[in-house]
Amino acid sequence: MNCDWVRENISLYLYQELADDARHELEGHVSRCAECAEELTAMRRLHEEMSQLPVMEPSPNLLADSRIRLSRALESMEQRRGWRWVLDPMALLRQAKFSPALAAIIFVVGFGGGIGSMYKLNAALHSGSGSAQEASIANIRSIVKDPTGDRVRIEYERALPETMQGSINDPQIQALLVMASRSTANSGLRMDSVGLLKQRPDDPAVRESLVFSLRSDSNPGVRLKAEEALAPMVKDDVRVRNAMLEALLNDNNPGVRSGALKALAVVPNDTSVHQALAQLAKEDPNEFIRGESSRLLATAQEKQ
Amino acid sequence: MVGQGSSRVNDAELIRAAQQGDKAAFEELVRQYDQQVLRLALHLTGSEHEAQDIYQEAFLKAYRNLASFRFECSFYTWVYRIVTNLCMDALRRKKVRREESSIRTGEDGESIDLLDQVADGRAGPEHELQSKQIGIRLQQALSKLSPRERMVFEMKHYQGLKLKTIGEALNTTEETAKNTLFRATQKLRVALADLR
Repeated sequence: MNCDWVRENISLYLYQELADDARHELEGHVSRCAECAEELTAMRRLHEEMSQLPVMEPSPNLLADSRIRLSRALESMEQRRGWRWVLDPMALLRQAKFSPALAAIIFVVGFGGGIGSMYKLNAALHSGSGSAQEASIANIRSIVKDPTGDRVRIEYERALPETMQGSINDPQIQALLVMASRSTANSGLRMDSVGLLKQRPDDPAVRESLVFSLRSDSNPGVRLKAEEALAPMVKDDVRVRNAMLEALLNDNNPGVRSGALKALAVVPNDTSVHQALAQLAKEDPNEFIRGESSRLLATAQEKQ
Repeated sequence: MVGQGSSRVNDAELIRAAQQGDKAAFEELVRQYDQQVLRLALHLTGSEHEAQDIYQEAFLKAYRNLASFRFECSFYTWVYRIVTNLCMDALRRKKVRREESSIRTGEDGESIDLLDQVADGRAGPEHELQSKQIGIRLQQALSKLSPRERMVFEMKHYQGLKLKTIGEALNTTEETAKNTLFRATQKLRVALADLR
C-alpha cells in the first residue's frame, strides 16, 4: 500500500466503503505517514463542510399532495386507455393484428353487428322514421335545402327515452347508476345513484365511481354519501385511503372533512395519515379537526 | 429499503398484481419508495415543484413500463434507474439555463431560502451571515460537478446509499461509481479550498 493508493481511497474509507482488511491497512499507513494523515484530516473537514447542507425530509403536505396527484394521473391514464377503444378503433385493430383470436372475435362481432344494424335500418324506413316530437333531438348532423323548391332535408340523431328495471346486483343496472353518478346536470340524480351504489362498494367499477364522486362532485351531499360508502374500505384500499386523505386536507366542507377524519382513524399509523394528523393538530383553523387530530395521534401512540 | 428480505417478497406479489392492472397494488408499491424518491429529488433540485414533477414522471413511467419489469434486478434498483435518469436530465437543463441559485421555490410558488437552513450549531444572529455564505459556497461548488458526479455524490453523501446500489441505479459498475465519487470529491475540495 502506497501513498497514492491511500489518497485515492480516503473518501471510500470515510464513507465506510472499504473492505475490512483495506480499512485496517489504511489506518496503519496513516498512523505512520504524516502527509497521508494530513490528507485524511483535510478530507474529513470537507465531509463536515458538505454535511452543513441539510437534507430536508419532504413535508407531510408535499408527500400527500404528490401521492394524490399521482393517483389522479393514474386514474385519468386509465380512463384515457378505456376511451381509446371508442375514440380510436384503429388502435384495437392494430392490436388485433398481433392477436389472431382477438381478430376473430372482432370479425364475428362485426358481422353480427352489421346484420343487426341492417334490420334496424329497415325497421326505421318502414315506420317512416317516426316524428321528432317522440324523442328529444340529441344532435343535428346536416341541413340541406332543395335549391328549386321549399323543401329542406335535415339529418338528426334522436335520443329515445327507455326504462330499465332490475336488481341493484344486475351489472347493467350498476353501469347505468355509475353513469348517473357522473351526470353533470342533475345533482339530485347523482345523490340518488351514489346512495344506491353505496350498497355495492366491493365492485371495483362502483368503488372507482365512488372515489370519483368523493374527489370531484361539486355537491357536498353527494361527496358525503360517497365518503360514507368508502369508509369501510380505508384499511385495505390505498386508493380509497388517498381519496379520503385528500378530502381531509382539501375539501371545503367541514362535514366531509370530519367524515374523512373519522374514516382515517382506523389507520393512524399510515405514514401519510400520521404526518397529516400531526400537521392538522398543530395548525388547522378548524378547532374540531385540530382537537380530533391530536386525540387520534395520542390514541395511536398509546397503542404502539 | 435496500435488501429488506420480507419487503422484497411483498414487492414481488405487489408487482405481479400491478402488472395485472391492479392500481391499488401499484400505489402500495409507490408508498414503499416514494418518500426517499421525493427527498432525493428535493435535495438535488432544491425546488418542491421540480421534485414533484420528477416524482410524478418517475412513477408514471414506472407504471407504463411495469409490464417490461422481468425481476432481473430489484424493483428498488429499477425505480431508481428511472429516477436518477430524470434527475440527471433536470440537472442538465439547470446547467444549460445556468439556473443554479441559492434561492429556491416552495410548494406555494413563494421563494424559500435553503441557506437559512444550513446546519449551524452555534446560536445567535452574528453567525447567520457566515452560515449563509458557507451555504452559498457549497451550492456553487456542487453546481460545478457534472450531472453524473453530482448524482453519485448526492446518493452517497446525502442519501447514504451504497456504491454498489449507486452503480446499479446508474446502470454502471461499482468501480465506475467509485471513480466518479473520487472525481467529485476532488473537484469539491479544489472549489472549497479557500474556505479553510
